[in-house]
Amino acid sequence: MSTESEILHVGIDLGTSRSAISASNGERFVVDSFVGWPADMVARKVLKRDVLIGHEAVANRTMLDLHRPLERGLLKEGSEKDVEAVRELLKHLLRLVGVANGKVDSANVRAVVGVPAASLRTNKQYLRNSMKGIVDSLMIVSEPFAVAYGLNALLHTMIIDIGAGTTDFCVMKGRYPGEEDQRTLTIAGDSLDTQLLKLIEDRYPQANITVYMVREWKELHSFVGEAPKKVLVTAPVKGVPTELDITNEMKAACETLLPPAIETMLDLLSRVEPEFQERVRANIILSGGGGLIRNLAQTLEDALKQVGGGKVTHMQDPVFVGSDGGLALALDAPDEDWEKLTA
Amino acid sequence: MRGGQIDRVKRQLLREAVADNLDTIRGLPPRGLRPRWRFGRVFLRRAPLFLIPLILASFAFLSNTGVPSRAKAVAPPRSIATQPAVVRASAAPAMLMPDTLEPVSASAFPLSVHRVVLDAGHGGTDPGASSISNISEKEITLDIERRLGALLRNGGFEVIVTRSDDRLIPLRERARLANGSNSDIFVSIHVNSLPQAQNHGVETYYLGPTNDPKLTQLAAAENLSSGYALADLRKLLDRVYADVRRDESHRLAAEVQQQLFSGLRGVDPGLENWGVKRAPFIVLVATEMPAILAEVGCLSNSREAEMLRSGTYRQQIAQALFHGIHAYASANDMPQKKGT
Repeated sequence: MSTESEILHVGIDLGTSRSAISASNGERFVVDSFVGWPADMVARKVLKRDVLIGHEAVANRTMLDLHRPLERGLLKEGSEKDVEAVRELLKHLLRLVGVANGKVDSANVRAVVGVPAASLRTNKQYLRNSMKGIVDSLMIVSEPFAVAYGLNALLHTMIIDIGAGTTDFCVMKGRYPGEEDQRTLTIAGDSLDTQLLKLIEDRYPQANITVYMVREWKELHSFVGEAPKKVLVTAPVKGVPTELDITNEMKAACETLLPPAIETMLDLLSRVEPEFQERVRANIILSGGGGLIRNLAQTLEDALKQVGGGKVTHMQDPVFVGSDGGLALALDAPDEDWEKLTA
Repeated sequence: MRGGQIDRVKRQLLREAVADNLDTIRGLPPRGLRPRWRFGRVFLRRAPLFLIPLILASFAFLSNTGVPSRAKAVAPPRSIATQPAVVRASAAPAMLMPDTLEPVSASAFPLSVHRVVLDAGHGGTDPGASSISNISEKEITLDIERRLGALLRNGGFEVIVTRSDDRLIPLRERARLANGSNSDIFVSIHVNSLPQAQNHGVETYYLGPTNDPKLTQLAAAENLSSGYALADLRKLLDRVYADVRRDESHRLAAEVQQQLFSGLRGVDPGLENWGVKRAPFIVLVATEMPAILAEVGCLSNSREAEMLRSGTYRQQIAQALFHGIHAYASANDMPQKKGT
């Protein structure tokens, strides 16, 4: 059995777009969930690396066989390259916090990984199999549960975690959330990107834009409702950098999230015991990158008025909220439980 | 919540999170769906049926060993009274059964695959997808079905086809034919068509729920000519969680997908691997054997549509499907050989 000093606890938010890690040695990192291998010998010579991860991979994508191993928050099944990619991504995250790079002499890594709320057991088992040999012990929990745990929001709270691949809803009732307490929508950051790209292409057919550019614009300027200011971006049109007004397109794309999100929020609320509904309505927390969409919290509050009103708050720094929650779980779990959860 | 209360709730949540993970490791279904509770209720209702004879047998045993008892007046039938030790030994595990029930693992049934149902998607008035150059899905799937059928027969399999010519067979009829044929696996062949014409890849589906609106839409489109009433559909969907068949379907899908991608990427380097996915296609729900639906290409991609015109490429698809089925069948045979 390992001694306390040899154990490193980590919380990992394995996201479709970005993955974050928080470790018990105080290190925290976030990387883009992209893994790329040099496409040929020439690329390998230029890049001088066998594998590139995160932002580096995106920046050099033209020379790479680029993989985004997670689809809607889940490891793509049946694709060996994507399994390899997720393993590389996890190894990279662990290297960043000091495992196997000399900073930590850790013989025993205990990891808590957050996955979408509606993941099936087969998805979790598949992830567990893919992580063999990378961590020593593994606990897989629903991502919104990890968020709630980290925030001590354990009772009469609803977490709405808007990631790239999925939007997860979870009502915390002081017990481990079951199927009836959680919902997952696939309308999330990625689908907003696709929608925004399409709308911009429809309006500016001559403009040369990519989904990567659109994602960056969305992260800077997303909003619903009243536009806080005009959204002006620069993109090449027939090769000439040109300023484009995408205010209406941004609004339309972001607002595609609203009907399903509001319907799901109200549906989950209606399933809470009547005497607790008011308390849950007053404790709705928006997390994930999508939680930063301007006016979103206010719009959800407006929707709550039809059922008696409520309060929606968003996390100012949503990047590490999931991984920090995972780390809190990892640290709180007793040794005897970790010994049962060998990866 | 106060600090102490938070700690108590956290400890409880952690215990439940660990239990959930252990259930996943052991392959148990979600707690709400587990038969142990239902079994427990049935156990309590029916307990008197075997507890009364057990008590009577115990009295008989005591009386036979010389201990005075009023139970002599209600002695049980001789067959039970003469075997008290056996009754007691079997009664103990019976009491423990509600807690020791394990899920049935697919590996417990290493079935040999002899008979394969091939289902060429669409047909007759339902052409399925079509390309700009007017080649239709129904035509391609039928041709691949014929080629695959020949390969399978040469490989020693028995082959049943849901359609052998250009006619519309309702999905209900296809499932009825497959179920009535006592076949071991069901393979449905389809060709994709996507709004993004530049995309092309292969994917294989097995039965399961999905929350992807695109897949739901695709399943709804493919299920159009099912021939099932709503009430029938509800009954069919109850089967979605039938664990053994789903595990086996997943294994078959994984083998076929791997062979499709590796077999076709050689001739089409741009081909994408879209992996193994779950979807509630009616032919997968209504069939009673491990069943998959393979989307073997994309007619919306003009380059691939051209390739799908060629008999050589269709033969390569048939071969890849054959290798996938063969790999699955071989893996199923292996444990039996080891055991003999």
